[in-house]
Amino acid sequence: MNVAVKALKGEEISLSFGGIKVLQGLDVEFRAGEITGLIGPNGAGKTSLFNCLTGAYSPQSGSITYAGDVLDGLSPAARATKGIVRSFQHVALSPDLTVLENVMVGVARNFHAGWVHAFLPTLRARNEQAAMRASAMDALQELGLAKVADKFPTELPPGMQRLVEIARAIVGKPDVLLLDEPAAGLNNSETRDLMRSLKNLAATDLVMVVVEHDMDLVMSICDRIYVLNFGEIVACGSPQQVRNNDDVVRIYLGSDDD
Amino acid sequence: MSDQNIAFESPATKLQQILGGNLTSGMLTFGLVVVLCVLPLFVGGSWMFSLGICFANSIGVLAVSTLVRYGGEVSIGHGFFAAIGAYSVAVLDTRYGLSILVSLPLALTLGVASGVLFAWPSRKLSGIYLAVSTMALALAVPEMINNADGLTGGYEGLYVSQPAIAGIKMSFQRYYAALIVLIAVVYALARLRQSRQGLTLLLSKAHPAAADAFGTRKDWARIVVMGISGGIAALCGAMLGFAGSTVSPSGFTLWASIFLLVGSVVSFYGLTLVRALVGGAFLTLIPQFLSASGAWIPVLYGLALLGVILFGHYLPRIKDRIAERKGGLT
Ligand SMILES: Nc1ncnc2c1ncn2[C@@H]1O[C@H](COP(=O)(O)OP(=O)(O)O)[C@@H](O)[C@H]1O
Ligand SMILES: [Mg+2]
Repeated sequence: MNVAVKALKGEEISLSFGGIKVLQGLDVEFRAGEITGLIGPNGAGKTSLFNCLTGAYSPQSGSITYAGDVLDGLSPAARATKGIVRSFQHVALSPDLTVLENVMVGVARNFHAGWVHAFLPTLRARNEQAAMRASAMDALQELGLAKVADKFPTELPPGMQRLVEIARAIVGKPDVLLLDEPAAGLNNSETRDLMRSLKNLAATDLVMVVVEHDMDLVMSICDRIYVLNFGEIVACGSPQQVRNNDDVVRIYLGSDDD
Repeated sequence: MSDQNIAFESPATKLQQILGGNLTSGMLTFGLVVVLCVLPLFVGGSWMFSLGICFANSIGVLAVSTLVRYGGEVSIGHGFFAAIGAYSVAVLDTRYGLSILVSLPLALTLGVASGVLFAWPSRKLSGIYLAVSTMALALAVPEMINNADGLTGGYEGLYVSQPAIAGIKMSFQRYYAALIVLIAVVYALARLRQSRQGLTLLLSKAHPAAADAFGTRKDWARIVVMGISGGIAALCGAMLGFAGSTVSPSGFTLWASIFLLVGSVVSFYGLTLVRALVGGAFLTLIPQFLSASGAWIPVLYGLALLGVILFGHYLPRIKDRIAERKGGLT
């Protein structure tokens, strides 16, 4: 029996827009059972890397695999059905749906009742909706959002909207979870709660990658950290190693002026 | 694009929040259904006839509103799909002696199919470009019908006379059939809003990339919404044919398509029975009310349109004011 750890791997990923090189031959490996941090200054290419991993962008060269499966050429929707899921840096919730319904969308890919059930009050439709609702409610509960389940996203402060975004990502029991700045806009206590939730979520078969500017969060929950600058990896290792890396210190002291 | 959608959605959403304490709006709808069911006992034949057509038009308004609500797109060509439904009914009636019990499912199927067929090549278009391409459909309709006169009866049209249920007075059948189909469409759309597919379509409208990341492709969403909308429009045409008893190309000109959009706008793209009826009334009843005013019809109609749109636009603010005042008192 081969007990190799499942991992999301990118090899030699290069991406450019026009003449601008956004990612320059990145090699990354995000392992199941670990929380991996991805840090770097604004514009370093973190979100672009997520976009390549989920299929929203097609890198000019390089290859992406998950647990040995080659993902290149698969649409984001196809990757989602393989369990690769993300949250968005810029909250992308539907204003027409309640918080609960927005989160229900995150679990939709696991259900398959056909069109008849969309228009008629069949038993299957009712069961499916109830199951989606229950899962969504669990996810909201986990993030302390149960109270606002029936509100619309626009009625919530930005920090809470972001938590809804995260609830939608975790609700479908993903195999790969890519979180893009999950703590942006959260206050200190919300951030602490989020850290606890993310740690709870970590599991031996889950690949979790967190892009984050909040160093306390990254240093305390991540097992490994990649540091990205100008589309290149400048450091990779345990929080301790990264903290003591001279290049990292220079990048963060030199260019992060906010 | 998404900002624009939200912008032309917001009055409706606000309106819905105001009108829709769920219980009260449910009761209102139920009451309305009861009234409409017993109305033929109290009104004359010409009213029943007009109301039947109003119900049919309300279905057409729902077709356009569905496209707006779930697809974020506007159509000025839904007369095309309505014509497909109408001629399904009329041709099966006159050529094969089949009633709407047979032709209605066919109309629905053909409407969905043509919606999907139109959506496939136009799936990358949006906004004004999509609207203008739907217009191309509408422009083609009367000519196509005239050319296929062996089947369609050309510009003279066809007469729909087969009863759905033998033995019941046709005037009642025309009224009730249109009413039943309207209620069924409203009901099915209410189910859709709760369904998995409905939720994913609504996310896809606002944030296609996010929906894509959760398994709903943008192209799929567009094709599906066009299929649903085309199917509903075909039901509208079918009921226009049955309730109006004649089907001819003059009923499916570009104007018909434009008025379906107008009805959708004045109902603020609402998918409820009340809203659909407001839209349908604008297509059917208001022109009749105004018909006494001769040359002034278009002007008065325009004023009525403007009035309703402004009313809908300012209603949330008016309600806010009232709520504030009440809040101040208690
Ligand atoms: N769709 C795009 N078109 C053009 N440039 C892009 C696009 N997406 C990202 N970029 C560029 O790629 C660089 C990295 O952006 P991004 O990945 O968002 O950085 P980060 O998430 O690390 O802040 C930026 O210079 C940005 O302008
Ligand atoms: Mg970013």
